[in-house]
Amino acid sequence: MTRRQALWAGRAASYASLCLAALLILFPVYWMGVTSLKLPRDILRTPSLWPHAFTLNNYRILLEDRGFLLNIRNSLMVAGAVTLIAMTISSLAAYSLARFRTRFRGAIGRLILFAYLTPTSLLFIPLSIVMAQLRLSNSLVGLVLVYLTFALPLATWLLQGYFRGVPRELEEQGMIDGLSRLGALVRIVLPLSAPGLAAVAIFTFTGAWNELLLALVLISSPGARTAPLALNDLITSDTLPWGPLMAGAVLSSLPLIVLYFIAQRFMVQGLTAGSVKG
Amino acid sequence: MSGTRWTRRNILGATAVGTVEVVAAGRRALAAPAIVKGSPLTYWGGLIFSEKANRTLSGSINAWGAQTGVRTEVVMVNQNDTVQKVSAAIASGTMPDALDVSLDLLIVLARQGVFLPLDDLYVSIGAQNGGWMAPVDKASLINGGRFGIPFGVSGNMLIRRNDVLAKAGFAKPPATWVELVAQAEKAVKPPFFPMGLTLGNCGDGNTQISVLQSYGGRIADDAGKKAAIKSDATRTYLAWVKDAYDKKLFPPGVTTWDGAGDNNAYAAGTVAFVANTGSIGIAARNDDPELYKGTLYSALPAGPLGVVSPIAPQFRVIPKTSRNPDAARALFEHLARPDYTASYYANAIYGPVLQNETKLAVFDGKDPILAGLLDLVQRGTAPAYPDVFNAAYADAYNNFVIPKMIQRVVVDRWDADRAMDEAQGRIQAIYDKYA
Repeated sequence: MTRRQALWAGRAASYASLCLAALLILFPVYWMGVTSLKLPRDILRTPSLWPHAFTLNNYRILLEDRGFLLNIRNSLMVAGAVTLIAMTISSLAAYSLARFRTRFRGAIGRLILFAYLTPTSLLFIPLSIVMAQLRLSNSLVGLVLVYLTFALPLATWLLQGYFRGVPRELEEQGMIDGLSRLGALVRIVLPLSAPGLAAVAIFTFTGAWNELLLALVLISSPGARTAPLALNDLITSDTLPWGPLMAGAVLSSLPLIVLYFIAQRFMVQGLTAGSVKG
Repeated sequence: MSGTRWTRRNILGATAVGTVEVVAAGRRALAAPAIVKGSPLTYWGGLIFSEKANRTLSGSINAWGAQTGVRTEVVMVNQNDTVQKVSAAIASGTMPDALDVSLDLLIVLARQGVFLPLDDLYVSIGAQNGGWMAPVDKASLINGGRFGIPFGVSGNMLIRRNDVLAKAGFAKPPATWVELVAQAEKAVKPPFFPMGLTLGNCGDGNTQISVLQSYGGRIADDAGKKAAIKSDATRTYLAWVKDAYDKKLFPPGVTTWDGAGDNNAYAAGTVAFVANTGSIGIAARNDDPELYKGTLYSALPAGPLGVVSPIAPQFRVIPKTSRNPDAARALFEHLARPDYTASYYANAIYGPVLQNETKLAVFDGKDPILAGLLDLVQRGTAPAYPDVFNAAYADAYNNFVIPKMIQRVVVDRWDADRAMDEAQGRIQAIYDKYA
C-alpha cells in the first residue's frame, strides 16, 4: 500500500467511524421526529423508518388540546431566570474563591460541591416545606429559587476552574491602569473565561429545563406547569400516547438545540480569542 | 276564591303535615353539611387515561361549586405521582381540602391519622344507592372505620384477541389458567406469542400473585405475619408458568417488561392475552378500531382454588387539615348521584362501587370494557385475598418478590424449591420489619 493509499484508507476509516457515531447519536433523534409524524396505529402495529401516512395530529393534540406552548413559555422563563441569576451570583462567588486567600476557602469550596451532590430525592420534601412557608408553592418564582439551590453550587464550582486559568498578572496590570477589582473581573476575567461561562450557562439552562421531580412536587396549577411536567402528565396509565409524547419531545428539544448552536459558536470564538491573547 | 273550608279536620291535617315537614327539614338541616357560600375548596382529582372522564370530573365539581357558592379549584394530579405530591404536601401543610387516592395510599395514611373518618357519610351514600358492592365494602374497611368514599373499581382483567381465538374455535374466555395455556397453544403460533402476561418487576407483573393465589399459594399465613410462600401449591403454580414459558408461549423479553410492555405488545397485535386494566381498550377504541372490535374482556381465569381477581378501588378522602370538610362531604354526596356517575362511568375505566350503579345504562353489556369491569366487580375478590392486606403485604408487593421468584425459575433455571426458599426468605424479612 502506497503512502497516499494509506492516507486515504485512514481517512475513510475516520469518516466511517464518525458516520457510525453520528448514526448512533442521531438515530434516536430521527426516530423521535418520525414517530411524532405517525398515526397512533402505525407506531406500534407497523413500525417503520418512514411513516406510511404523515399526520400533524400529534402536534395538534399537544398545542391545541393541551396548550403546550404555555408550558414551553414557563420553562423558558424558569430556565432563563435560573441561568441569569446563577451566572451572576456564581461568577462573583467563584471569583472570590479563586482569587482571595481566605481561611476556609478550601472547606467552603468542598461544601459547595457537597451541596450540589445531595440527591434531589432527599431534598424535595424539605424544599417544599420551605417554599410553603415562604408562600411560594405553586409559583414559578418558587421554582426558580429551588432550582438555584442546585444550579448555584455547580456553576460556582465549575467557574472556579475557569477563573483560576486566567493569569493573575493580567488583572494586576489592569488594576495598575486604574481598574477596580470589579472592573478587572468584568473587563478582563469574564471575557477571557467566555468559553467557560458559555459552557456553565448551558449546563445550568439544560438542568433547569429538564428538571421534573421538584416541579412535580411544587407545581399544581395547570397554568404554572413546565414542559417536562406537561409531558409527564401525558402519561396517565400504562398505555403510552407515543405520538403526542414524541411531538412534545421534539418541541421541547428545539430551544435547547438553538441554544447549543448559538453557544457552540460563542465557545469557539472564546477559545480562539484566548489562544491569540495567550 | 276556592271553596276550601277551614274545618277542624283540615286544620288538624295541615298541622300534622306541617309538623312532619318541619321535623323532616330539621333533620335534613342537621344531617346535611353546612356549606358556607364563598368558602374555598381545593380538590386534587386523579388523572386517568380517559381525557373525557377527567373533564367530566372537573366540570361537575366546578358546576357544583357554582351552584352552591363554594369557590372550587380542581387540580388534576397524575396518579403516578400522587405519592410524591401527597408526601410533600403533608410535610409542608399544603394538602388540598379533598382528594382522590388509591387503596394503598389510603391504608398507609389513614393509619397515620391523615384523613377524617367518614363512616356516617359512607353509610348514608350506601343506603341511598342500594348498598355497596361486597368486595368494595370489604376493601374499604380500615382499622374498623371508613376513611374514604369509594368511587370506582379498577383492576386487571383478562383481555383477549377474540378475533384470533374465535377463529380457532375458542369463542368463550378460558375458564382456568390451564385452559388459557391450551387456547394459547392451539390458537396462535410464533412469531405471534400468545401470552402477553408480564413477568417483569412491575405492577402488572404482580398479577402473577393472583395466579399463584388461585393455585392455593399464599404470601403469608392467615394472621398476616409469617411468610408462607413455600408450599406444594406454589410448586404446582411454578410448574404451570415454566411449562408455558418453555413452550415459548410468552414473548421474548417478557421477564424484563415494564408496566407498558404488555400494553405495547397488545397494541402491536403480537399477543392474544394480556392481564391489564381497560386502558388498552380505550386506546384501541380511539386509535385502532379493528383491534377494538376484536377484543373482549373478562375476569381473570380460575386456578384449582377458584378465581382470584383482585379489585383496586379508588377513594375520595378529606384530610384532617381540610379548610372546608363540610363542603367536601357535600361534594362527595353530589358525586355519588346517579346523574353524575352515569356520565362519569361512560368515559372512565372504572367498574361500579354501588349496587344501584350496576343498573346504569352504561353497564348494560354493550360496551365490552365496562362489561368486563362489571364482571370484575361482581366476580372479583378483595385486594390481597386470600392473604391479609396489611403494610407488610404491600411492601412485599412493591418489592416484586413473586415476579423475581418466577424469573429465577424461567430465566436462571433454578429448581422450584430453591426459588421458593429465596422468596420465602425475602418475604419473611419484609414481614419481620412490621412484626
